[in-house]
Amino acid sequence: MTGLAAEGAAPVLPGFPRPRARPRELGLLVAVLAALAIGSLSLGLLRTGRLEPADPLGLVLYAAGLLVAHVVLVVSGRRLDEVLLPAAAFLGGIGLLVMERLPQDLVVQEIGPLTLGLGDLQLLWLGVALAVATAIAVALRSDRWLRPYKYTWAAGGLALLALTFVFGSEVNGSRLTLQVGPFSGQPSEFLKVILVVFFAAYLAENRVLLADARVRLVGPITVPPLTYLAPIVAMLALALGIVVVQRDLGAALLFYAVFLGLLFLATGRLTDVVLGLLLFAAGFALLALIFPHVQQRIAVWLDPWADPLGDGYQLIQALHAFARGGLVGTGLGAGLPEIGGRLPIPAVHTDFPLAAIGEELGMTGVVAVLAAYLVIVGRGLRIAAAARDDFRALLAAGLALVVGVQAVIIAGGNLKLIPLTGITLPFVSYGGSSLLANAIVVGTLMALSDRGAAPPALPRPPRLARLRGSPRGPS
Amino acid sequence: MDAGLNLALWVLRLAFLALLWVALALMARALLSDVRAASRDPAASLGRLVVIASSGQPAPGTVFALDAVTTLGRDLGSSVVVDDPFASAQHAVLTFRSRGWYVEDLHSTNGTHVNGAQVAGVTALGYGDEIGIGDVRLRLERGRR
Repeated sequence: MTGLAAEGAAPVLPGFPRPRARPRELGLLVAVLAALAIGSLSLGLLRTGRLEPADPLGLVLYAAGLLVAHVVLVVSGRRLDEVLLPAAAFLGGIGLLVMERLPQDLVVQEIGPLTLGLGDLQLLWLGVALAVATAIAVALRSDRWLRPYKYTWAAGGLALLALTFVFGSEVNGSRLTLQVGPFSGQPSEFLKVILVVFFAAYLAENRVLLADARVRLVGPITVPPLTYLAPIVAMLALALGIVVVQRDLGAALLFYAVFLGLLFLATGRLTDVVLGLLLFAAGFALLALIFPHVQQRIAVWLDPWADPLGDGYQLIQALHAFARGGLVGTGLGAGLPEIGGRLPIPAVHTDFPLAAIGEELGMTGVVAVLAAYLVIVGRGLRIAAAARDDFRALLAAGLALVVGVQAVIIAGGNLKLIPLTGITLPFVSYGGSSLLANAIVVGTLMALSDRGAAPPALPRPPRLARLRGSPRGPS
Repeated sequence: MDAGLNLALWVLRLAFLALLWVALALMARALLSDVRAASRDPAASLGRLVVIASSGQPAPGTVFALDAVTTLGRDLGSSVVVDDPFASAQHAVLTFRSRGWYVEDLHSTNGTHVNGAQVAGVTALGYGDEIGIGDVRLRLERGRR
């Protein structure tokens, strides 16, 4: 019986783990950093006329941070994914270049004696995000504190959101920001991670029931038993209700899309998704009837030129920026971030970084950014397919979907493909909450990709037997 | 702006875009080679059964790679021999049908449990579920792919 035991049973050795080289990650990081260095050179050459990188210290600090993270992962000795970190570093680096290129007084914060501008703050947050992602990837080994406490986590997330609703400060007509002392953050960014944990835990627990015990609705159309769907629908309704009242339409769209994706992954029934989309259409029509700001968003989307200096202003400027960029862009630093001292796109650093990339790096750059999201999503789904149980599989798939769906929503909004909703471009947009939440996503995905200890090498036959050529040679 | 500076700017701009795509191509190659390696993996299986708790054989921590039909019981001809005083000779059978695993109790004396509840007839299993036979608890996990 013990002969079968060898497969996968990891021998647990006491003491410090043996470092494990990650050559693929190192190679990809070097490729990403080389590209960023050339980008920084092109920005510096345009600004000063000399061949020197713009903000060399920032670039060096970013490279050093990535290499430290790489070394920590090597020393930890875990067999973790080697593509996620370079892909996230790719997007973060492009975001950093864009923030260094935009007017630095867009965001200014004073920390002690230092006055930090937009680029410096983004670098600071990228460093914190990198530390968080690495710490989670190295330290998260068990789901014991995640899976059994799904209702606790969900309640905590909702409480955070409710706190924002009561005590939050209002920015641009939406009450999304919570101020605690000198720190301010957007809890809905973290709620998306908590919701995925809850959905994954609940669906994994009831997956078999939801997929097999179907209830007939009309004719051949069946739905999962509604009593088992009730807790998750209630949770979804609560989250959606709060963010809709907060006017955070992007977050509402994200939560709903991730919920439908996970439901489809858990049950494998296309009818559930079609019914969900019909419900979504009905709910959206209802929202448009009740809330005037939803109607306004739709009107701007359909015809931004109806009010070119008011509601449609930002979207029209973004479209012009994409048009100016063309195929290869104007080059970093050569776009038009301000006309007559005024920003054409006021929210260029949070909601419209894709427009800045489209103007200065062109379609080639925009498609590169979208391809990097594709790499992250593909990697996440692969981790899900290889996960050893349903909870881990759904958690990995849900986290990958969060990143992918969010990128689609804001990229589509910037390009006037769908109505614009204020949501950040993951890893690229300026903002501490967004970067930290996405760092948690990447760190958790890496931890979930752990393949355990490597199976021990096959024992070599004794030297004498090898010399004789056959273990059953004459003795 | 003189011609030399202009040319240098053009070269740097296009080199930046080209290098971005080189980095992406390297990532895509890494993804592809992983997919190929996974399809060649000889250890790929439909699922695995991990022994979580038992009083004797099989020892806790033992892992069994599963075939599409896996029999469990005290009989030495079973795929997984469960040597427990409360196990029947032919106790239960695990089958993989279309997309998922099912367990069926073979009219054993003391019954088969899934996540603590006794099962009747053919019952669907999810990865991560626990099967109980006597004092032996086994967890179904996804195979390595």
